[in-house]
Amino acid sequence: MILLESHSVIILNTLTEKFAKAGSIDVQFVDYDGVRFHLSTPQRKTLLLLSMSIRCWEELVQYGAMDVIKREYGSYFKPDAEPEYNVSLEFDLEAIPEDAEAREAIIKSASLLKRNVLGAPFELAFSTQKSLEASASPADGSTPAQGALMQIHYRDEEAIYIQASQDRVTVVFSTVFKDETDRIFGKVFLQEFVDARRQPSIQNAPQVLYSNKEPPLEIRSVPGLKNSDDVGYVTFVLFPRHFSNPDKAYATISRIQEFRDYLHYHIKCSKAYMHSRMRHRVTEFLKVLNRAKTEAPSGERKTVTGRSFSTR
Amino acid sequence: MNNWRRIDIDAYDEDVVHETDLYDPDPRDPATVANDAKQKATQVRSLISRGDIPAALAAVLTDAPYGSQFEDAKNVSLSAVLLILNSTKSTDIPGIVKGLSQDEQDTLMKYLYKGMASQGTEVNGSVLLGWHEKLTEVAGTGCIVRVMTDRRTV
Amino acid sequence: MSNSLRPYLAAVRSTLTAAMTLENFSSQVVERHNKPEVEARATPEALLNPLVISRNENERVLIEPSINSIRLSIKIKQADEIERILCHKFTRFMMMRAENFIILRRKPVSGYDISFLITNFHSETMLKHKLVDFIIQFMEEVDKEISEMKLSLNARARIVAESYLTTFD
Repeated sequence: MILLESHSVIILNTLTEKFAKAGSIDVQFVDYDGVRFHLSTPQRKTLLLLSMSIRCWEELVQYGAMDVIKREYGSYFKPDAEPEYNVSLEFDLEAIPEDAEAREAIIKSASLLKRNVLGAPFELAFSTQKSLEASASPADGSTPAQGALMQIHYRDEEAIYIQASQDRVTVVFSTVFKDETDRIFGKVFLQEFVDARRQPSIQNAPQVLYSNKEPPLEIRSVPGLKNSDDVGYVTFVLFPRHFSNPDKAYATISRIQEFRDYLHYHIKCSKAYMHSRMRHRVTEFLKVLNRAKTEAPSGERKTVTGRSFSTR
Repeated sequence: MNNWRRIDIDAYDEDVVHETDLYDPDPRDPATVANDAKQKATQVRSLISRGDIPAALAAVLTDAPYGSQFEDAKNVSLSAVLLILNSTKSTDIPGIVKGLSQDEQDTLMKYLYKGMASQGTEVNGSVLLGWHEKLTEVAGTGCIVRVMTDRRTV
Repeated sequence: MSNSLRPYLAAVRSTLTAAMTLENFSSQVVERHNKPEVEARATPEALLNPLVISRNENERVLIEPSINSIRLSIKIKQADEIERILCHKFTRFMMMRAENFIILRRKPVSGYDISFLITNFHSETMLKHKLVDFIIQFMEEVDKEISEMKLSLNARARIVAESYLTTFD
């Protein structure tokens, strides 16, 4: 399992269970990036309430999250969210369609709640880029207009910055490596990302750039950037061909959202692998060392009258 | 009143062994030794340019300076030895080594270890290791033991 | 590069064999105590000359013999940051399990990456030539292990990057 899945497995499994057979439930669970979910049946067994709390909700609303929700969840969207949560969806088991396929579609869409909400700024950026492209560049040769710089502080010390330009969309991740080892492993991984384009099979992939402490040009002007050695900046340059049709755009948004979690997941995986290798190597060494031990003289030693020696 | 508790009793102990008691110091004084070493170095250089390696080695390995007062002399001798080692062809090494007396072999081993310990740019690890291997083949592990136990560090 | 590995290990082996002549020697400073003289360093006459065997600036072995113990310190080749981290993790991993290793020292001598302490009691219960074999094999394996770990890390990074970026197509 190299790639992370964009849907929440817990929501998927729990909703499938509940849609099949109604029962009361009250669970709280989490997802990547500090997102909390609450799935409960507050009033009656057949009314499921799914709420999500996400750190950057206000920013996402600013960038059009509500439109996305209305589009994807329509009638299931509950206008006032549960207290302490940012958004709620309500599923009335008596009112949902009987058709198995339609039910599956609803469940799938519900499990993608986080992805959809977090994808709103990206959709906005894509449409901004299309409109910028459509509008002609100024005749006097000055730099073409750019969309506003969108900032999403989806984690405590890390953020995503999105900027739409005339011919591309630039996404900058600022990520923090708390551990020295993480930092060096991260550098190796990110260097591969940068170099991967040289391979002929992935010529079409977005361009990746990496800088260790220096923020890239696009976000130099942003206030409040953390300036320390453990901060790294990764820039993705998405070209129009990556979101030319809705399917592609959908896939691109899902992938790019989970980049930070993907990277850190694999760094941790490689650390665990190193650890198991070292364990193995240490047992090998111990085996070799044991060869050096001599056999202690075994067997009891007795005197001539039959009394045996005892070792203190 | 309690000063007698703070006396360093070990300093008054007559039976304590000092570093200098462990070996006989070189009777010559530093200046002569230093001059000696420089003369030998020039002699070695001329012998090398003539291609006479065994004689160069013999010259520098007899009466090698040792002890803590002769730092300059020791360094000069070390560079002379390294020069010889670097200029010898690897095929000649076994023959040359066999021709040395036991004392000279021990001194050569001392210089090998000293060369490896020093971190100068003129030190070539593989050359020293090659000499070490050949020397151990001829002189045996006893040579290394003598280097370890001989307090007259070169 | 490997042409000097064989003489390097041969030199370490012969020096170690020569140094491994240990006998029981009680402490001359404290009654009824028996300490490894190379660690206690109480009396100079029980200590022998320390020897260094080096292949180049970055790889060396320090052998400090004494009458009843030897201390052997190894400096492992670390070419870049990744190797430095891997070496540090690996040696730390082993030093935490020093009790199982018997002859391993919990802290390396300053300037080196890992240290071993072999006393006369060890050489009485274990075969000397096998101990020397162990040390030599250890030195070879550590280098091999670190370069293997580095290779696997690079391979993994390449696969990760490739799988991620191909999905964008």
